[in-house]
Amino acid sequence: MSKLIRKESSHHALASQEQVGQYLTFLVDKESFAISILDVKEIIEIANITHVPLTPDYIHGVINLRGNVVPVIDLSARLKHQCAEVSKRSCIVLVEVEMADSVQLIGMLVDEVREILEIPPDNIQPAPDFGTDIRTDFIQSMARVDEKFIILLAINKVLSLEELSQLGQITESSGSRIAESAD
Amino acid sequence: MSEFDSALKIFAQESEQLLLDMEGALLSLESDPDDSEMINSLFRAMHTIKGSSGLFGFNPIVAFTHEAESVLDKVRNNERAIDGELISVMLDSKDHTARLIEHCLSSPDQPLPDELTVASDALIKRLTGKQHTHIQAQATDTSQVHSEGGGNISIDDSWLISLDFRDNAFRNGMDPLSFIRYLKTLGEIKQILTFFPEMPHGEVMDPESCYLHFKIAFTSDASKQTIESVFEYAADDCDIKILPPNSKVNAYLQLLDSLDENHVSRLGEMLIQVGALTEHDVEHALKDQSDAQQDTAKPLGEILVEQQMVQKPVVEHALKKQEQTKQKVAAENSYIRVDADKLGHLINLVGELVISSAAMNLIVERHGLTDAGDVAASMNSLVSSIRDTALELRMVQIGETFSRFRRVVRDVSNELGKEIDLQISGGETELDKTVVEKINDPLMHLIRNSLDHGIESPAQRLAVGKPAQGIVQLNAYHESGHIVIQIADDGAGLDSDKIVEKAIANGIIKADHSLTQQEIYNLIFAAGLSTKAQATNLSGRGVGMDVVKKNIEALRGSVMIDSIPGEGTTISIQLPLTLAIIDGFMVGTEQVRYIIPLSMVDECIEMDSTESEINEIEHFINLRGHALPYLRLGEYFNTPKSNVVKKHESVVVVKFGQDRAGFVVDELHGEHQTVIKPLGKMFEKLKGITGATVLGDGNVALILDVQGLIEAAIGKRKRKPALLH
Repeated sequence: MSKLIRKESSHHALASQEQVGQYLTFLVDKESFAISILDVKEIIEIANITHVPLTPDYIHGVINLRGNVVPVIDLSARLKHQCAEVSKRSCIVLVEVEMADSVQLIGMLVDEVREILEIPPDNIQPAPDFGTDIRTDFIQSMARVDEKFIILLAINKVLSLEELSQLGQITESSGSRIAESAD
Repeated sequence: MSEFDSALKIFAQESEQLLLDMEGALLSLESDPDDSEMINSLFRAMHTIKGSSGLFGFNPIVAFTHEAESVLDKVRNNERAIDGELISVMLDSKDHTARLIEHCLSSPDQPLPDELTVASDALIKRLTGKQHTHIQAQATDTSQVHSEGGGNISIDDSWLISLDFRDNAFRNGMDPLSFIRYLKTLGEIKQILTFFPEMPHGEVMDPESCYLHFKIAFTSDASKQTIESVFEYAADDCDIKILPPNSKVNAYLQLLDSLDENHVSRLGEMLIQVGALTEHDVEHALKDQSDAQQDTAKPLGEILVEQQMVQKPVVEHALKKQEQTKQKVAAENSYIRVDADKLGHLINLVGELVISSAAMNLIVERHGLTDAGDVAASMNSLVSSIRDTALELRMVQIGETFSRFRRVVRDVSNELGKEIDLQISGGETELDKTVVEKINDPLMHLIRNSLDHGIESPAQRLAVGKPAQGIVQLNAYHESGHIVIQIADDGAGLDSDKIVEKAIANGIIKADHSLTQQEIYNLIFAAGLSTKAQATNLSGRGVGMDVVKKNIEALRGSVMIDSIPGEGTTISIQLPLTLAIIDGFMVGTEQVRYIIPLSMVDECIEMDSTESEINEIEHFINLRGHALPYLRLGEYFNTPKSNVVKKHESVVVVKFGQDRAGFVVDELHGEHQTVIKPLGKMFEKLKGITGATVLGDGNVALILDVQGLIEAAIGKRKRKPALLH
């Protein structure tokens, strides 16, 4: 299961609404989420992750991806404020995020990759304003599959570089505060 | 078509370089108008541009550069003097030529716009307008040698030997006659003149002193070297001058022509090589030259002719030959133009090679392959020399960047009505080309700041007893794996009260601040702070210094400012030499590995050794009697404690500039060739870590930001005593 899917296309445009879209579903803290398959660059098995100090919990660390250093976000910590427990089935889903004029490759640590679903546009509904335990701006829409709802994630919000690097700054001060109290 | 395009590209690059050289030459001519080498290089620049433009049919450029070239030709032939006015016109002409080239390259088919034509005509008028043609008097011909003793000696095919014995010659056992006799064994003495102009009268004369001088016309086939050896023993008591026969001159000229053209030799060396001079002659002349006062020192050639050691035509020919060789060497120069992208690619590949060689070493070690160990070790050393050579390819001297500022200083000081001299040193210091490119703008900004804010007007300077001319110094040197660039001015210095006032007004600091002098100076790098009451078009708007700091920090560098009120300001920029691969030192703490740039590591010590003693309360390490602030990396980075039983802790003493600190770690892993990988935008604001690298086993290790961590350690040390009260 080292490389479940590998896609060369980095095409970002969502499939047009008329067509049936393909979505990758995965588990985070026992809940199913999905992202458009067009956003997925590659799925790799979990490798040695180097923790980066003075960063918030949801930055799990950095990995070596064929010679490049790529940050990995703990989706469970980011969505549910609870650090993921790495198991045999844990995977890293690599996606590309755009910021200003540069493109950054980011890995998402998920508990398990499920399957690729074809979801017709009719089955996709706008996100509810309340009733979920994750931030509403992280939800792009809800998809109905077999009478159950799966959250389609808004990748650009979940992995917003502006936000990730800003939050890094906030906890950095708390990090040094901890360091101070430790001595 | 594509070939034509690439030829055009080369033309553009070449002209740019030539114009740059031209500017440099003009500016140095300003201080030294007689430097014929500079005049030649001006002429070459115009001439080459004219020639190449002709090839492409850029007639406007040809027409204009032709005029400039003719003027320079006159200067070269001493028909026109170089003065400030001409230099100004030539500078304008240089700029104009650049505009013409730009026009011709961007729209080759369009006719020249009117404004350019008008500018051309105006400049040509200024160039040729008034010509002070004053031809230097021809140097007198010295082919006729006259001797003071009376009567001219015909020396057409004879050597002319003059022997001027000193007083002590007899006392030292020298007998002039014996030398002359011995000389006879080498050839025929045609004529000998003896004269004694210093001979005193009667009783004053000392019979033991020698007052004799000889001039000997001598024919022989022997070489100058051989003839000189006759008088070898007399050399201490006699001034010997041996002038070759005129008939030999032609032989020397021919020999000069046949000299190797592949490297530039010095005048003396060339003349020795063809036998016109001996080493003794040259040493003597050089000594005279260095003895002479600085402002009266003459070129070597002139001294040689004056001392009648060699004929003028020979010297002139040798000089001409030297010039030709120089040009040829310059033209052929062993440089290859390489696409910067290709170099970048090569360096990336070398980076990968370094990583895989580390991986191989690891495997060899793990499996205990002793026979493979030797091969691995030799490959390792090869890889590291490949790495060094590849990085060196991108190293350029900073001098070119520095000399560009001459023009800036000249123009800006004219504009501001200040007299400012730019002094450059350390131009030969090398650093990575990518760093050079990125440091240009910040440097420009800092220099403009020094010119505008730093240096006072001449009147103000005279009022406080300084010379009217201000000095801005640009200096570069290497220091512990970094390059330091300093911009120093002898201006008014920073006004810390004004800075504080402004910073409070802008809400950058609070009124009840407690900042050190250094911290106050650093405020000028804060956004929106300018102490200059009025903004000029040069600086003073308070944007810029923050950008300067940001740009420098983006290069993993730092900037420091120091100022003495009334005496000037010094800004020091520290930059890493390269952005790609460094020698690292790997340490481990709590099972996490970090890389410290090796150039910043001073020493490693055992924590519990007698040399050092840790003081947990006051928060310093007593290192051989010095208090060293320290940082426990594991604690600082808040790493979860591992359950592994700890061995002895070690302290890595690191330095950055003047500051030192100790990092307390659990393990020392040793040197590691480190390929720097960027951490990306997400970690841009992370303190304490500057980058990452991939280790041989495929894991990622983080590279420490030594500067930031030292500051943190020092900060802790400062805070601690306060908490105790």
